Amino acid sequence: MPKTDLLQGTLDLLILKILTLGPNHGWGIANRIRQISRDGLNASQGSLYPALHRLELSGDVKSKMTSSENNRRARIYTLTPAGRRRLDSETASWDQFALSMKRILQAG
Amino acid sequence: MFARLVAYVRGLAGRRRISAEVDDELRFHIDQEIEAHMSRGVSPVEARRMALRDLGGLTPVTQAVHEVRTIWLDLLWRDARHAVRSLRRTPAFTSVALAVLTLSIGATTAIFSVVDAVILRGLPFPESDRLVAVGEFNVKDSSPASMNLAAPQNFLDWRDQQDVFTGLAAVGYAEIGLRRQGDVLPENLRAQRVTADFFSVLRTQPVLGRGFASDDEVDRGGRVAVISYALWQRRFGGSPDVIGARLPGQLASFEVVGVMPPGFSYPVDTYVLGVREPVDVWLPYIFSDADRVRGNIYGYNLHVIGRLRDGVSIERAQARMNQITANLAAETPRWFTDRAIKVVPLRELVTRGVSRWMIMLLAAVSFVLLIACVNLANLMLVRATHRIRELGIRSALGASRWDLSRVLLLESIILSLTGAALGAAVAWWGVDVLRSMIPAGVPRAATIAVDLRVLATTGILAVVTGVAFGMAPVVKFSRPTVARVLNQAERSSTASRRTTVLRSGLVVAEVALAVVLLVGSGLFLASFARLMNVNLGLDRDNVLTIQVRVLELPPDIQQAAQRNRQLLMNVLGRVRALPGVEIASLTGGGLPLRGDLRTVDFGIPGRDLPRNTDIALNQISADYFRALKVPLLKGRVFADTDSQNSEPVVILNQAAAARYFPGEDAVGRVVRLAGNRTVVGVVGDIRQDGPESGWRTQAFVPIAQSRVFGATLVIRTASRAEGILPAVRQAIWSEFPDSLPTRIDEHSLSYYFDALVAERRFNMMLLALFGVLGLCISSVGIYGVMAYVVSQRTQEIGIRMALGALPSTILRSVLGSAALTMMVGLAIGLIGAWGLSGLVRAFLFEVQPRDPMVYAAVVLVLSIAGLAAAFGPARRASSVDPLIALRME
Repeated sequence: MPKTDLLQGTLDLLILKILTLGPNHGWGIANRIRQISRDGLNASQGSLYPALHRLELSGDVKSKMTSSENNRRARIYTLTPAGRRRLDSETASWDQFALSMKRILQAG
Repeated sequence: MFARLVAYVRGLAGRRRISAEVDDELRFHIDQEIEAHMSRGVSPVEARRMALRDLGGLTPVTQAVHEVRTIWLDLLWRDARHAVRSLRRTPAFTSVALAVLTLSIGATTAIFSVVDAVILRGLPFPESDRLVAVGEFNVKDSSPASMNLAAPQNFLDWRDQQDVFTGLAAVGYAEIGLRRQGDVLPENLRAQRVTADFFSVLRTQPVLGRGFASDDEVDRGGRVAVISYALWQRRFGGSPDVIGARLPGQLASFEVVGVMPPGFSYPVDTYVLGVREPVDVWLPYIFSDADRVRGNIYGYNLHVIGRLRDGVSIERAQARMNQITANLAAETPRWFTDRAIKVVPLRELVTRGVSRWMIMLLAAVSFVLLIACVNLANLMLVRATHRIRELGIRSALGASRWDLSRVLLLESIILSLTGAALGAAVAWWGVDVLRSMIPAGVPRAATIAVDLRVLATTGILAVVTGVAFGMAPVVKFSRPTVARVLNQAERSSTASRRTTVLRSGLVVAEVALAVVLLVGSGLFLASFARLMNVNLGLDRDNVLTIQVRVLELPPDIQQAAQRNRQLLMNVLGRVRALPGVEIASLTGGGLPLRGDLRTVDFGIPGRDLPRNTDIALNQISADYFRALKVPLLKGRVFADTDSQNSEPVVILNQAAAARYFPGEDAVGRVVRLAGNRTVVGVVGDIRQDGPESGWRTQAFVPIAQSRVFGATLVIRTASRAEGILPAVRQAIWSEFPDSLPTRIDEHSLSYYFDALVAERRFNMMLLALFGVLGLCISSVGIYGVMAYVVSQRTQEIGIRMALGALPSTILRSVLGSAALTMMVGLAIGLIGAWGLSGLVRAFLFEVQPRDPMVYAAVVLVLSIAGLAAAFGPARRASSVDPLIALRME
């Protein structure tokens, strides 16, 4: 199965969705995206980190540096209530969008 | 919304730290990735290559993250510039809001700082909460004068028997007159006698030399002293040789054994210790045989302080001291009639009497702060309503609620912070002013400084108010309602009913608060005015008084009195010849306003007066009444012919004449005080103890006919009294020989008067200041609201004028609505003031808390201020051009 690039703006949504499962670090999130989509979607890891920082600045997630095992410092991201609300509203509009696209494509 | 706010602020604060952490974060990612690849059997080198490839290279990602952060900063900068521009577009609003913030933050911080320093902060000693005062008090007399004092033997008994304090120390009054040294004239130093443990109880040791030990309490001939840092600098030039140097007192010479750190002082100022000025010398308390006697009721002149042992509560210390007292009472019962012992925290003793006063000031200042907050809220609402349209359009163009609130938030923050900064400057200046104004005797006045916590508290209060009300309009912009809001803004000819009610409510609150505050100010002003108008019976301006005391009583008292009187008369002669001296006279004590009083038994030959009838006695020279401008009502004043060899004479004051010779002529009658004397004159009454006390019966006898060891020179000068002080001092020291230990105290008569009214003056000035502040702030509030209402009604007014309404009708209608709001506020305020005014009764002088004149004046002043504030907008309304008004929409 060929890999599909993520649509612009959907990366944020994916990150928020993954964080609903619990706090995670950047690598963990990248890995989750790979697992959930069975490698069908591949978040370009290069765009993952700017996206995480953008989400933090807008208050959708918050982060904390921790020292994980082996003395390596990981940044753990957590979903904020604002982020959860944003996920809900954007999921709804995404469903709407996907439905519309499907209708248009099937109509032909 | 709140989470976004936090993220916004956190992004501002933590950007440097985060940029360093990005490297760590990415390194962690790479490491994890390598590990994952290797666990699938990939070689380490290949694993690293794959990891870096998937990430897209370390540097580009780091840069991308930094860009996210920077773009966000740019956004913030853009928002801030936008906010500043928008504030500058409305200079009237901005400057008024800034003025309100500056004044209220500045004034409240300054006052809170004073209160904090005097009441709330601990004493300036280590672990000061363990310090207590121990003293006896009379159970039948609850006046402060009966409290917390001890006689020397009390102290000795307690010290011997107690086991609850690490140390117990006593403090008593002393003074030292330094001898003349070459050109340096004699100087009086304030001193305290302290027992051995004094410094260790306060846990403050000399910076140089030693404190006192218990063998210093025994008289061994050699006297030692610990001096203040200030005296060390002043008299010894800060030289380290001071230890062992001599302090040449007039009665004894002292060896300096220690120097205390700067600012050290015993924190309690009371009349018992006689301290109004800084203490320069501490002497060891030497217990004489007379001190070691139980039951000496005249010996109650010591303060006793102690430090609680670790783990000992104040209750336990009290219980223990009760027990000791009970044991002593069993030994010497009569001594302890009506007397009980009390252990109180030292801090309580220090602030006793002023805390109620301070709390009243705090209340006043909170009123100012409340008015300011209400006003700020009002201004913010007015501004927000003006901008609803602008915000509505931006919202319709796709700006999110968060975008809109960000700008409003930044505006509020910038405004509030600027105001807070200006307020801080005012606070700094205000504290300096207050410190110089504060009456002597307020504890720890020297330690007053702007308290940063206080500044932070008031600043935060202002910022929170500003932000809360500044953000209010955002609430209206949840998306679905945008269209409705825009529609409303389109038809802005009539204001929405709810906002008008809210704003009028705020004005009503402001006016009501101002009424309460102003009634308070008015009552204090009226009190002070009455106080200053009290007829003292004398003219206190331009009068210099110099008390001259000879300290040694020689064996031949008669001869000493003769010599002293001659010396004083010689000084008087010299002083009279000085330029600038109008009248120079002498009194042998009983100077008005200084708290002097000497009474003698009084009688009238051939009449039965109640036992113990006494009269205040002054021995005066001939010019005394002229010097003080006390009017002669009948008979004559003394003359030089009233001498030791002539007929003994006396002058009574009006009160005495009216009391003992009602309806008769007192002149020519014979009275008995220190022998029979003929009344030769009657003079006007003098308020001996100051404006708040009544008249006394007084008698005056010629100084020439009485025995005098010292006296006070009373000198009326042509101009400022202190100006001739050096010349008068010179005159005294050229007459009084060095061999005769003599002490002088010099002050103008107004100095004593000012000391008596200092506290009231301070109260009055502060309250007046608050009143003016409150008045200004609430006038601004009224102006703001009226200006807004008028601008809202421009279209309506235009239509009415197009239909023929006269400008005067419009003016009346606008002023009328302002007056209505004012009246509601005034009514509520008056009710509030009526109810609260009783609380200040204790601070008033000859003014009732519900003095109708004060209330009427407040209503008048506020009405004028309010209508003046409303007049500008009303004028603008009445000059509306109908055409322009209608075209506006």
